[in-house]
Amino acid sequence: MDTRVDRQEQATGRLGRRAFLTRAGSLGLAAAGLGGLLAACGGAPTATTAPSSAAPAATTGGGATAAPASTAASAAASSSASAPASAAAAGASASPVRPGPVRLVAGKVVLAVINDQSGVYADLTGKNSVRSVQMAVDDFKAKYGPNVFPGAIEVIDADHQNKPEVANTKAQEFYDRNGANVILDLPTSSAALAVAGVAKARKKLYINISGATTELTGAQCNRYTFHYAYDTWMLANGTGTYVTEKVGKKWYILYPNYAFGQDMDKSFREAIEKSGGTVIASKATPFPSTDFSSFLLEVPSAKPDVLGVMHAGGELITIAKQYNEFKLRDQKIPLAIGLMFDTDIKAIGADSLAGTVYTTAWQWNLDEQARAWSDKFKALTNVRPTFAHAGNYSAAWQYLEAVLRAGTDEADAVVKALEGYSFSDFFIRNGRIRAEDHRVVHDAYQAQVKPTKEAKEDFDFSTVINTIPAARAFRPVGAVACKLD
Amino acid sequence: MRVQLRHRLGYLTALLVALALPQVIYPGLALDIVVWGLFAVSLDLLLGFGGLLSFGHAAFWGSAGYAAGLAAKHLGVPFPVAVLAGVTVAVLLALPIGYLSIRRQAIYFAMVTLAFAQMLFYVTNEWRGLTGGENGLQAIPRTFPGLTLPSGSAAFYYAALPLALLGYWLAWRAVHSPFGHVLVAIRDNEARAQALGYPTRRYKVLGFVLSAALAGLAGSLFALGHGFAALELLHWTTSGLVVMMVILGGVGTLWGSVIGAAVVLLLRDWLSTSTLTLAGVSLKDAWGVVTGVIFVLIVLSFRRGVWGTLLQLRLPRGGSRPAPRAGQTTAGGPSAADGG
Repeated sequence: MDTRVDRQEQATGRLGRRAFLTRAGSLGLAAAGLGGLLAACGGAPTATTAPSSAAPAATTGGGATAAPASTAASAAASSSASAPASAAAAGASASPVRPGPVRLVAGKVVLAVINDQSGVYADLTGKNSVRSVQMAVDDFKAKYGPNVFPGAIEVIDADHQNKPEVANTKAQEFYDRNGANVILDLPTSSAALAVAGVAKARKKLYINISGATTELTGAQCNRYTFHYAYDTWMLANGTGTYVTEKVGKKWYILYPNYAFGQDMDKSFREAIEKSGGTVIASKATPFPSTDFSSFLLEVPSAKPDVLGVMHAGGELITIAKQYNEFKLRDQKIPLAIGLMFDTDIKAIGADSLAGTVYTTAWQWNLDEQARAWSDKFKALTNVRPTFAHAGNYSAAWQYLEAVLRAGTDEADAVVKALEGYSFSDFFIRNGRIRAEDHRVVHDAYQAQVKPTKEAKEDFDFSTVINTIPAARAFRPVGAVACKLD
Repeated sequence: MRVQLRHRLGYLTALLVALALPQVIYPGLALDIVVWGLFAVSLDLLLGFGGLLSFGHAAFWGSAGYAAGLAAKHLGVPFPVAVLAGVTVAVLLALPIGYLSIRRQAIYFAMVTLAFAQMLFYVTNEWRGLTGGENGLQAIPRTFPGLTLPSGSAAFYYAALPLALLGYWLAWRAVHSPFGHVLVAIRDNEARAQALGYPTRRYKVLGFVLSAALAGLAGSLFALGHGFAALELLHWTTSGLVVMMVILGGVGTLWGSVIGAAVVLLLRDWLSTSTLTLAGVSLKDAWGVVTGVIFVLIVLSFRRGVWGTLLQLRLPRGGSRPAPRAGQTTAGGPSAADGG
């Protein structure tokens, strides 16, 4: 996930929005709109302070009216359900947390979430990730007691609107003015990298969850930046290896011609060749494209065993639909996809994708522990979590426990407490935070899309068919230079 | 005499506001306002005074940002030199682009400039080795002998302010020079200006290059200030946003553009963390709609933009001229004289 969808949305979505605006404007701006605007202007002074207030329930603005009741209910339930479960799992593989006196530098702990809450990634992560972080804070207090730290634990958030400069400025402001201890999430690779620079300059923690770029643990890595859930190497390696071993050795690859696509193509090729396969053709499609028919029609003549598609978001939806239109599946050319989220499956339709294999960091119905957490999340948000939502909870939780272990929220001490730490929770299995490049390695999964008739409930899109052990799931240390300084 | 005094007071106030800005709002945002303001002024120079609507001004803002970033990153030059490199690149690009596009007028001119900007966008996207593709050019240092200038700090703001002010002064000087008057004359009636013996095409190219240089100055400061240059800099939405700023502030008023920039940026900043909801929809989720509605409201109620309308109110009754419509009529003269 990163900017390719973003660009496309700018090409198509923005236009739609503009058109919508013009229409809204020409409607003469109904009284409701005016009233709202006045309210917006009048409310400005309070709004600037509101996000930093330590609300015990939900901090997010949208739907806050419904949230508190359910938060309270689920927080009470959760303290006996999944939080201890995850904590127990953590205790099993890691050194026990020592709840002792904690010294706070500024008298409080502030977790800041910066992500896309209005654009293409709003469903994938967005404000439900903010809720997820708030959930982690509530569960943490439920487990260790409300006074575990000698000060409040706050959650603040900002919508970066997929603009790197907004992410950059907000990150600086959160660190400098709001006393943020850690910044979480950050989709869109240019924004993700821009914030890594800020973390380095300010010497404050930054845990990226929904950014995909391997640069975060490569050339742009630094002492204060951690990469939590997944990256492009993990996706390519997972699917490339598995499909070559189990499905077919002769690959035909189509990729969008920009940084993400080129990276995916390169990583796939490495993984395929390592597992004894060959890439008989690899074609770059111009970006952005709305029609792939000329590329797809050429595929059968090359007689590949597998067609690998590296497109994402809107392009993925188009190419998958055209793949079905040209009946490539009937010609025994199965589809393998580089990056796919539950939201994509929903948009394309599970039936058109049935049988397709892809790699993911987590699945909401992975096992009982994951499902228990997902139920709690659903009670709060009414949707099933993506791995970005779960990753935000997990990262916030691990940060808070690291503060506990370090006995202080001082950034360097927390970095030390995180480095080399091994743990498992409902999201991360067999996890270890590599001290060398701050990549969080953990088990990854191969999932296969199943036809709708096999789905037992909503959001039941795919089955996990294989687990990639943590040691092999991520790019090995030293494959690229990373100097943590 | 009294008018002159009032102008001086106006400039003094503006300077004080510029100096106090990072104390009032976050320094990173303050710098954004100053540089986006300069970018908008550069466009207003072309649109309000030259009557040329460039819809590809992001080309100069972005290419200068990348050039300044590359110079600072790979050559390690102090930041003013990096800015100079950015401006140079913007000028070098503006010469051929300006020379070719001023051959067309109105909407065709806008489309030709947009096409050039899009070309640059794709070149930058594809040229990964140099620009980092959509990851952007990251970790741009800001060095200045004897000073540390962390990004988002008041220190960098004050270090960059003189350069930005120089840009503003150049814009003001250009508008109030004989050159500026010829530009306005060409905008109002090119055939007559030609008949008077002015080489109108050369004037237009010069105006275009000057505008691009100022946009480049702003873009360089922006990239250095944030410490990165991303594709967003060159995207067509950036060109659109700056046109919106100029229209909000008032076309042909020069300083109005700064107000337009401030309105847009403050609104965007506030909406990104706003917790207000309206009919169950969080304003943050709908920042595009909110910005759009405000834009529509301002355009409908202040036809000359915020600053343009204020100026019109101050003009003696009967002395006012016909309202300028997107720089098509005579507003440039009077508002330029009064706008200072």
